[in-house]
Amino acid sequence: MSRTVAIVVILGLTLAFLIGPFFIIIAASLSAGESLAFPPEGLSLRWVFKVFEVDSFRESFAVSMFLAVFGTLAALALGVPASYALSRYQVRGGETVRLLVSAPIIVPGIIVGLALLRYLVIPTGITIMTALFLAHTALVLPYAVRVVSASLDNLRTDIEEAAVLLGCTRFGAFYKVVLPNIRGGVLAAFILGFVTSFNQVPVSLFLSGPGVRTLPIDMIAYMEITYDPSVAALSSLLAFMSIGIVFAAEKFLGFSRYV
Amino acid sequence: MSDYVSLSGLTLAYGNTVAVDALDLGIEKGELVTLLGPSGCGKTTTMRAIAGLITPRAGTITIDGRDVTRVPPSRRGVGLVFQSYALFPHLNVFENVAFGLRVTGGGDLEPRVRAALQTVGLSDFSGRRPAELSGGQQQRVALARSLVMEPKVLLLDEPLSNLDARLRLEMRMELQRLQRQTGVTMVFVTHDQAEALALSDRIVVMRLGKVEQIGSPEEIYARPRTPFVADFVGFEVILPQPDGDALAWRPGGVVIGAGPHEGRVLGVSFAGERREYLIESDLGRIKADAPVDEAALAIGAAVSFDLPRENAVRVSA
Repeated sequence: MSRTVAIVVILGLTLAFLIGPFFIIIAASLSAGESLAFPPEGLSLRWVFKVFEVDSFRESFAVSMFLAVFGTLAALALGVPASYALSRYQVRGGETVRLLVSAPIIVPGIIVGLALLRYLVIPTGITIMTALFLAHTALVLPYAVRVVSASLDNLRTDIEEAAVLLGCTRFGAFYKVVLPNIRGGVLAAFILGFVTSFNQVPVSLFLSGPGVRTLPIDMIAYMEITYDPSVAALSSLLAFMSIGIVFAAEKFLGFSRYV
Repeated sequence: MSDYVSLSGLTLAYGNTVAVDALDLGIEKGELVTLLGPSGCGKTTTMRAIAGLITPRAGTITIDGRDVTRVPPSRRGVGLVFQSYALFPHLNVFENVAFGLRVTGGGDLEPRVRAALQTVGLSDFSGRRPAELSGGQQQRVALARSLVMEPKVLLLDEPLSNLDARLRLEMRMELQRLQRQTGVTMVFVTHDQAEALALSDRIVVMRLGKVEQIGSPEEIYARPRTPFVADFVGFEVILPQPDGDALAWRPGGVVIGAGPHEGRVLGVSFAGERREYLIESDLGRIKADAPVDEAALAIGAAVSFDLPRENAVRVSA
């Protein structure tokens, strides 16, 4: 009996620790007061509406959206063929490639950001947007390769030979037989990449510059000047967006199978 | 007589390992030829080369008078039923069978697919996914998928090995019926001599990348020419002779009870209509069968036996 109680208490505390901050942010964003505070001073939706009135939020949201969508698509365009080659052919140095591709997960973002700024952006003078795009593509690539590789490893290879014998070219076999069967993995990789890119802070911090910022960086900048609950309101909206995406993914394709 | 499918001097290798060494083989139109041998004998490699999935190191392959050695698999007119069927998991039965016709743009898609499904007895299953079918049904889908393309040659890679014993017998008959019905030339790969004997017009026994013997099932079964083939079809008692050849007996051809040879029973096992003995003798270890109505010999018992010449086949070592 006391064992059950102990388990419930531990579980409750763990959940409170994990989800608690989320509720605090939601509560703070519904405040009627002028500054970020918990418990909130009165209830109102004014700060939620305020979010949509801040120009820089709109602009940086567009930047983040662009990076998350197209950076992830670019990572998939590189990652799917790479995964295929790594899983189907005995590529010389294949393991090294796998390791290199995973590097952005292992190396701290601060270091990646600094290195990109010092050795890519400054010497070549590329635009901030190009730098951000390249960085986000590289950061998402490990997820693309890992998730898609897992799908490919679960797919038998003789169906490609069967397709070839039924008249397909090798590329046709990939397109008609392999791709439809790893579609779930590719979608899962896209969602994971999208969320990773959208929430990325340390690398974007180094690469953001005048006029071009991702949303999280813009939120930090905003808070340094204005300490009102609109940042909390924006955080809540973003959290709901992420939850919505993952929930939909789980419901429609069993997301958790791939991650 | 010109062969419908002809392999000449075919040499196949993986890296430095030669899997098939200068193989010559002719197959007639409408024939069912079995490549028989233990794993590693090169039978599957040979089949994959006919399909075009492996490029030969040397030699040529012709099908229906055309040299296809360098022709890609998709344009050889060859069908292959894979050991594990290789059905497309994302397509239903109908679309699996229709796949090749859609790719090659063949006309009359719907009636041809329906006809192929009817041939293998799966008309009612066209909407199912492969995962919803039994092993035997998947096998039939794989057959229909190949047959609908009207291949010149149908290759079958151990098609019965993933089925349980009863289904295997049923599928064996089914294959024979299909072959009679469609008249398609078939190359069947197996390591099971009973299957090969039951199905084939001709059997090619392979060992270590070379042909040991080619012949009708009756010839292979009754007149093996090498010790390897003899052992493979059950002549398990093989004794080298002074002239360099060897004589081979089936365990059932060894007569127990009297004779010039002496031995001791090492083991005995009951096998229904007979008892199988292992005898340690001056000729080495001998397998011998005896009818069950004779009294069983105990392990360790002394036994005399005879190896009658008329029960033996002569094989060249």
